[in-house]
Amino acid sequence: MSDVKNWFREHWEIFAFVALALAPFGVSSLRGALGGQVTILFIYCILALGLNVMVGYTGLLHLGIAAFFGIGAYTMAILTVPLFPFQMGWLAATVLSIAVAASIGFALGTPTLRLRGDTLAVVTLGFGEFVTASLRNLEQVTGGMKGLNPVPPPGAGVSIMNIDLGTAFVVDPRWFYFLTLSALAGVVWAMKRLENSRLGRAWVAVREDATAAASLGISATQTKLSAFAMSAAVAALAGCLYAAMLSTTADPNAYSFNRSIMILCAVILGGLGSVLGTLVGVTILVGFDTVILPWIDTLLQQLLNHSPEGVLSFGGWRLAMVGLVLVMVMRFRPEGLIPSRQLAAELRGGQQ
Amino acid sequence: MNSKLSAKASDIPILDIDRVSMRFGGLVAVTDLDLDVSDGQFVVLAGSEGAGKTTVCDCISGECEPTNGSVRFRGRRLTRSFGPGVFWMAISIGLITGLLVAAAAVDIDRLWLAVVRRGMVFDRSFTFDSARRRLRSYFRAELALDRLAGKWRVVSADGRDVLVVCDDFEEAKSLKNQLQAAVTARRIGPSTVPNTSDMADAAEPSQRQPPIPDDTLNRLAAGKSRIRIRGWSALLAGWIIGATGVIVIWSRSRGSPHIAARAGIARTFQNPRLFENMTVRENVLVALDRMIPGGSIALLLRTPANHRGEQHAHIKANKILKFVGLGSMADHLACDTSLLDRKRLEIARALATDADLILLDEPMAGLDEKGVAVVMELLHRMKDQGLTLLMTSGSLSFPSDISDKVVVLDRGVKIAEGALTNVRHDLRVKKRPVTNLL
Repeated sequence: MSDVKNWFREHWEIFAFVALALAPFGVSSLRGALGGQVTILFIYCILALGLNVMVGYTGLLHLGIAAFFGIGAYTMAILTVPLFPFQMGWLAATVLSIAVAASIGFALGTPTLRLRGDTLAVVTLGFGEFVTASLRNLEQVTGGMKGLNPVPPPGAGVSIMNIDLGTAFVVDPRWFYFLTLSALAGVVWAMKRLENSRLGRAWVAVREDATAAASLGISATQTKLSAFAMSAAVAALAGCLYAAMLSTTADPNAYSFNRSIMILCAVILGGLGSVLGTLVGVTILVGFDTVILPWIDTLLQQLLNHSPEGVLSFGGWRLAMVGLVLVMVMRFRPEGLIPSRQLAAELRGGQQ
Repeated sequence: MNSKLSAKASDIPILDIDRVSMRFGGLVAVTDLDLDVSDGQFVVLAGSEGAGKTTVCDCISGECEPTNGSVRFRGRRLTRSFGPGVFWMAISIGLITGLLVAAAAVDIDRLWLAVVRRGMVFDRSFTFDSARRRLRSYFRAELALDRLAGKWRVVSADGRDVLVVCDDFEEAKSLKNQLQAAVTARRIGPSTVPNTSDMADAAEPSQRQPPIPDDTLNRLAAGKSRIRIRGWSALLAGWIIGATGVIVIWSRSRGSPHIAARAGIARTFQNPRLFENMTVRENVLVALDRMIPGGSIALLLRTPANHRGEQHAHIKANKILKFVGLGSMADHLACDTSLLDRKRLEIARALATDADLILLDEPMAGLDEKGVAVVMELLHRMKDQGLTLLMTSGSLSFPSDISDKVVVLDRGVKIAEGALTNVRHDLRVKKRPVTNLL
């Protein structure tokens, strides 16, 4: 019995992803606007998993993850939009933007290696602001507040079995749903694998005690830099999907500090250093915002159909509710909703 | 293995501490310490609190750089040497910094427009060659023709300044040549010789000069060469700053502890520094990190070599845990273990690094009699395996058969050295406070 339970605990993601992959065939509303919202939710999940590498595993407080999200989106756009001469295919552009973001993450990591805790947080915060300001002001390159568009859908111009992929992506939102779902599944799989590998252990070791790790032959420099690069790469993947899905980079405010903080809150809410926890955190925080609230609002409007204007809207309360949820969780479950085994021990250990 | 043999043959001590002094500000922790440790020896560094034992450990393990003197392990200093890797790192990071600074200095916005964006308006295919041509024409302040909404325009290289708009291509072309001549004539700097074809066209008096403000032409002519100088100097300055930065950072981290660890020196700490929230086995696995081959991509794909390495590491970790007597604790969290287990786990971790020299910083401090016996017995077995051990101890009350040599420190100065029984009867030791620990 406990074997089955353990197996399920180890491999929950298989069930979750199979269920999510089948969902659009059963739930008809997933084919419409809701499908789009859920797709965006998946993208934020990928972004949060990227942040989790830095904040969760390696214990480096990173307040600028949205900057790498933006770098991914904008590099993708520059490489694909008709305004620029490159106009690469979707896959090549994605790979290239991930590489660009990873090297920028590496470059950000090099001078900040000796910083930790709040000092590093301030540096990453500054980097985030720097990137958003650049995106806003380098108008000739980034299109300023208009953003870059149109970003072609994945596989534009490629047709398989008489289906033009580009058109298929535009016509049916399920294509994006499946694309982001499989990207998310890939990232989850990679994270679970890294967790139990040499690199994952080195990340945690550096977080726990960098001096002891160094005395065992682990270079804190290399370990931290790899965390920087890995988190930037995963965030950039989210950015690429985001730009392709919206077919625009949107305006630079989409990559501002607010987004970084929202994702950070989601990671902390769900449980630092835990893949499942991160996913749950994003689903609750962002999903509440983008999926549940609009749904409640529509429901309310339908109920109060007779009233002349939609007086009662839930949407105005969203930030208050998010704040309340965060405070409650931090009060009663400081290690997050679904903590990693390690962090749970750390926080509970102090109380014993 | 080879180096081990040769070291033995030539009788070089495995660890050679030569007149090491360590000062922390005004506080002198160690003064002129000489200490040799031969292969397979068990050396005890004794002394009361504050005698500088831990500082000696720190100097050996690379935790801190001695103020004076040198520490040699197998005849060489444990600092990173300046290899081609550092050189190319400095060059490439310098280049990136230089490009960034240059981009800021030359108004990247306009450059980008000239090289990439205007190429699109002009409807020519984008190649590296055409990009290079456009880049050059931008810096030469060349004018260009382009077509927008059916009309021909004479524009500056970046397309921002529209000088003339005509319906007729020929007319636009000759106007362009005239203006080009005017701009080129105003240029200062090395390449002021105007293009001859431009001159020929300009000589035709048929076209009237369009009314372009003088300052626009001046700006077009003068700005670019200034920008060019600015760009190159910024590139150079950024390059120097970047490369120097890399070398400075590199030189500051030369003696990092992980280098000593990779060379074969492992250590334990006086207050065990475990990875508290990892299991006991994972603690040991971290130390076995280098046994597992493959970069991050190989880890993701779990290549066969990587997988095998991981399995071997697990087997070895279990073996080491059994050796130190923690076999049954492998899946407990490190923070849940007792002090004795923590000390033993630290030793297990040190063993796992495959070190030749293990520094044990007070492995018996804080343990009860039973615990001391357990650790003592473990040290015996480690010695039997041929490991070289350097142990610090706050007392001289351990069995005399285990240590080959005892060195007594008092306030950072070596006051006695030799076999345990001799040291115990040494007058200097007897007079010092360390005697009350006898």
